[in-house]
Amino acid sequence: MMPVRRDFVFDPDAPLLEARDVKVTIGGTEILSGADLTLEAGELLAIIGPNGAGKSTFARALCGLRRPTSGMVRWSGVKLSRLKGRDLARLRAFVPQRAQVPNGVTVADAVRIGRSAHLKPLQGFSAEDHEAIESSLVRARMKGFEDRLLSTLSGGEMQRVQVAVGLAQGAPVLVADEPTAQLDLGATAAVSKLLRRLVADGLGVLLIVHDLALAAAVADRIVVMSEGRTIATGDPLDVLTSQLISDVWGVEAELVRHQGRSGLHVEWLEGGPTGGN
Amino acid sequence: MSIRRSAVGFTLLAALAVSIVASLAYGAVDIPFGSVIDILLGKGASGPDTQIVETLRLPRTVEAIIVGAALGVAGALLQGALANPLASPDVIGVTGGAGFGAVLIIILYPDSIALLPVGALVFGLIAAGMVFVIGFTGPTGGGIGRVILAGIAIASLFAAGTAALMAAYPDRVPSAIFFLVGGLTSTGWETLKQVWPYFTFGFVLAIFMIRPLDRLLLGDDVASSLGSKPRTIRLLASLAAAVLASAAAAVAGLLAFLGLVVPHVVRLAGGTNNHTFVVPVSAVGGAALLVAADTLARVVRAPIEMPVGPFLVVLGVPLFLWLLRKAV
Repeated sequence: MMPVRRDFVFDPDAPLLEARDVKVTIGGTEILSGADLTLEAGELLAIIGPNGAGKSTFARALCGLRRPTSGMVRWSGVKLSRLKGRDLARLRAFVPQRAQVPNGVTVADAVRIGRSAHLKPLQGFSAEDHEAIESSLVRARMKGFEDRLLSTLSGGEMQRVQVAVGLAQGAPVLVADEPTAQLDLGATAAVSKLLRRLVADGLGVLLIVHDLALAAAVADRIVVMSEGRTIATGDPLDVLTSQLISDVWGVEAELVRHQGRSGLHVEWLEGGPTGGN
Repeated sequence: MSIRRSAVGFTLLAALAVSIVASLAYGAVDIPFGSVIDILLGKGASGPDTQIVETLRLPRTVEAIIVGAALGVAGALLQGALANPLASPDVIGVTGGAGFGAVLIIILYPDSIALLPVGALVFGLIAAGMVFVIGFTGPTGGGIGRVILAGIAIASLFAAGTAALMAAYPDRVPSAIFFLVGGLTSTGWETLKQVWPYFTFGFVLAIFMIRPLDRLLLGDDVASSLGSKPRTIRLLASLAAAVLASAAAAVAGLLAFLGLVVPHVVRLAGGTNNHTFVVPVSAVGGAALLVAADTLARVVRAPIEMPVGPFLVVLGVPLFLWLLRKAV
């Protein structure tokens, strides 16, 4: 086995994740033309924006799933380009938007596969690894589902398995791309509570979401993206003004938050108080 | 769940053991089981029985074990890497290439028939190499659809070459049939001595691909999240499969059916898609099926030896259909 050469040192004082002026060009088209964010431990940062604003591309570039064309991405102070696959797997878990649901794979199998990020090729699971698998199942509230096949789970359960797979990686950051996009109200609330519990445990969670009301309720801070750029960041209520919603989404709407509840009052049709267009 | 997997594993191991003993005992001359065991342990009296077992049946049985295991593993790797239940060594061009290479030697250079295994191996690898170059380069390189379509195109190309050779020399076609249908021969250890490094390379690489293929089961994004490169996994797993299948073709002709069906039998019987289970158990299952089929091929019309390919199908298809009945 080749020894892993570690010519980098993590800086404990640096943010878990820091990105400055990240650009991504795909097939000659600039999809991302300058995006920034900072994620600290114990906070939930939501990236919001309209469809096609570059949210997923940004998250994939941050996670090393797509090479940025230019810009700076650092994980705990270390440049993304210096981190190899297994190093990255221990720094961040990426929970994809559409879960692939394979046949003949149980919940326990899936979480075990997640933990394999910690193993060298051909290395077996240690007692510590089994503990991590167990605790991931408990934290994602999937205890008791171990022997269920993934193909028999509901959308919400499948999404919790995805989170458990990510937790088994034991990384301090969880990046989730629209984990609730295809879920009903109850499952959305369950996944939101799960993510908040993880944040309370000290994880940094980066959530990509297009539901503004959901983002306003669960996020400590939000980053707004529009046309490939991050255009605003801060507390959801400060940032998501009616003016900004109108500018970015082209819709007249007002965000309201009251005692942990949030909602978006939207002018769905023309003819409201401000008139059409 | 794991009891079921163990039961499947042990049943196939037992089937392999029984097939091996039967393969050594039965043929043109039947040798009692007791004598076979004695001969294997070096306690047999020197005589024709010992000679038959040691110089004819043992090498042939070992060939059947290795070829069966290689094709079982190749199928399991390809079905995992390409996430496609129809994947087999056909799909990456190996079968078409190896068939062309063998027919080229048989028809154009019948005096150099000893080169047949080399021809099959080399052209099997050339065909797979062409598929990999086309399938894994370009902007969509490494995508499953691209690899499979490249495989179909290259396989057709070599099949056309084979057909052209057979059409040009119709009188020499009969000698190619045994290879094209797939059959083991009693030529001692010669072929294995030539191709064992390829089998070793393929099996070792396959062992390293088991865990990466499990990650791929959860999708490319999860595999990437876990620090793997999906495209590299597909390429390396397909490479291991191509080398194993080409070496298998060099020894036993075209037996692609085995690579297609055995991993499915193993998955259906074990109720899991985990490669930690499917890859090694497909090796055992493939070996058991080929040893059993080859024994049948030698016994049915003894002393005439039939090609093993059709017997493989006769044994494998009913088992496959029986398992499929419960699955769908």
